[in-house]
Amino acid sequence: MKAIAKTQISELLNQVAREYNVLVPVAGADKYAPYTPGIELKLNSRTLLPPKDVFFPQTEKMYKFSTDGMEGSLDSLLTTPKPQLLFGIRPCDVKSIHCLDHVFLSKGFVDEFYAAKRDNTFLISIGCNGPAESTCFCQSMGINPQDTDEVDVHLFDLGSQYGVVPKSAKGEAFVAKYAALFAETTEEVPAVAEFTLNLELDGVSEKLAQMFEHPLWEEVSRKCIGCGACTYLCPTCHCFDVSARVAGTQGFRFRCWDSCMFSDYTRMAGGHNPRPSKKERVRNRFLHKLQYFPERYGDSLCTGCGRCLSKCPVNMDITNIIKQVREVDLV
Amino acid sequence: MITEKMRDVAKDLLTKGEVNMVIGWEKGTFWYNSTPVFITKAEDVERLVFDEFCTNNLAKYLLDYKTAEGKVAIFVKGCDARAVNRLMQDQQVQRDKVYLLGIPCGGMKEAAPGTQPQATEGLPLVEKCQNCTSPNPVVFDVLLGDQVSVRDTQNRFAAVEKLEALGTDEKYAYWGEMFDKCIRCYACRNVCPACSCRECAFDGNGLNWLGKQNNLQENQMFNITRAMHVAGRCIECGECERVCPMDLPLMAINRKVIKDLNELFGAYEAGMDVENRPPLGQFKLEDPEKFM
Repeated sequence: MKAIAKTQISELLNQVAREYNVLVPVAGADKYAPYTPGIELKLNSRTLLPPKDVFFPQTEKMYKFSTDGMEGSLDSLLTTPKPQLLFGIRPCDVKSIHCLDHVFLSKGFVDEFYAAKRDNTFLISIGCNGPAESTCFCQSMGINPQDTDEVDVHLFDLGSQYGVVPKSAKGEAFVAKYAALFAETTEEVPAVAEFTLNLELDGVSEKLAQMFEHPLWEEVSRKCIGCGACTYLCPTCHCFDVSARVAGTQGFRFRCWDSCMFSDYTRMAGGHNPRPSKKERVRNRFLHKLQYFPERYGDSLCTGCGRCLSKCPVNMDITNIIKQVREVDLV
Repeated sequence: MITEKMRDVAKDLLTKGEVNMVIGWEKGTFWYNSTPVFITKAEDVERLVFDEFCTNNLAKYLLDYKTAEGKVAIFVKGCDARAVNRLMQDQQVQRDKVYLLGIPCGGMKEAAPGTQPQATEGLPLVEKCQNCTSPNPVVFDVLLGDQVSVRDTQNRFAAVEKLEALGTDEKYAYWGEMFDKCIRCYACRNVCPACSCRECAFDGNGLNWLGKQNNLQENQMFNITRAMHVAGRCIECGECERVCPMDLPLMAINRKVIKDLNELFGAYEAGMDVENRPPLGQFKLEDPEKFM
């Protein structure tokens, strides 16, 4: 396998930055941000903020409009970005992009705002040799923490260097182009360290299909405070609202992240709310992750990245809820 | 020891039917976190714990049960008790509907995520407890444990004074950088015992006080309004800052408001009792009118 010394990563990024807008995991801000030489990278773990905003920004202007008397005009604000390279995403986040692809690109509808950025982005992932954080449980969600195929180039963590493996035709070309930076190595990928957070997912989706009215939801939702921290930090949560900003005769329409945990999320124009309390909202969040999405797309909408668990103000723990679901005795 | 007493008193209250629910803490996912729990059956009282990780202020949950039948018992540390007083002062909670189980609190601790269990003596206090002015519950029906002494709180306004020393442009740049990070998850609002509006002005009620775009302008509007809205009612429990996933220094804003209020209207600590009304919740002829 080819390899690059970890000390050479900045050289690689400097070179690719001539060709791409390079986005890297940044320490401090703890998110993916444009690369600048000397910026401090966070390469030992996942970032707090997931990479979803690279393809699906928290706020995105869609079109602008103006009126002039009885005349009106619309202008699309869809732009094709310069080719970008997303560097250093973890296998859990690669899986989350796969989930977002289902939503925005499949089932007969292509979201052109998402597609424009997705098609233009070259992905380089880095594997984890074990749980990067105490809250990691990707392995239980069927993800190989060390490897992934759904990128262009994957890097194995070999200690002082990264093993470089192309995973697509674009990736092959990339590795050939920057061959001068890569040397051959015989070093092998180490064994995966044991995860401390483990769960069994088999049969959960099917069981949940029978648990819509189960009293468990009342119980587990009591401590939820109804904030959107879990959904906004989640790499796969993708609900959005469409709204407009108008000033005089001009305005623009935008979409922005929304959260199913907010009380106004399902409120109808007339005031009726089909999910009136946190019981219904919490139930929906977990059923969406673990039942509805698997039923529709065949994938879990939880990747086990553990961000919600690490930041929930009240320690709502999806692994614990899955365990409780498994323990429920359905009669 | 407190844990044993908690379980005994909770079991007693539930068995006798004096309360329908006991709100306390149980162990969370890791040894270094404890999390809110709601006990409705006497046989579940073994879940209750009190240790150095019961950081959550429980008082706000009383709003969820304010129209429920019967009484709710709730464990209150100093900050929880002040929050209950505040909610009672605003007629959000009725005194005869709650049974308050006071616990003097030596301050909550934090351990680095992922570390192995260790003795809690050597662990640092969480940020929110470092300048606590009321470790002992100020209102309770029974008190579990002995009163503890108040820690030195001389540094309570240190962060505020540091920011006050900055120039206007520097302040603007500092807060701009902070609010730019806000993801508007509203955890600070939702956890706050002073934020008790049934419907928040920032929820989509068609009034559009605030747009849903995430940008500096809208984020600033939210954060400044939140701070001003709890002016005089903030009990300094520090929950907003603790829960902020982006680590925004929200208590610096809250304490700036408290400091200004103290200078303008005289020293006041919210939630110490229900009789003394907040400075902005009353009118006195001698109130300063410099802004008029």
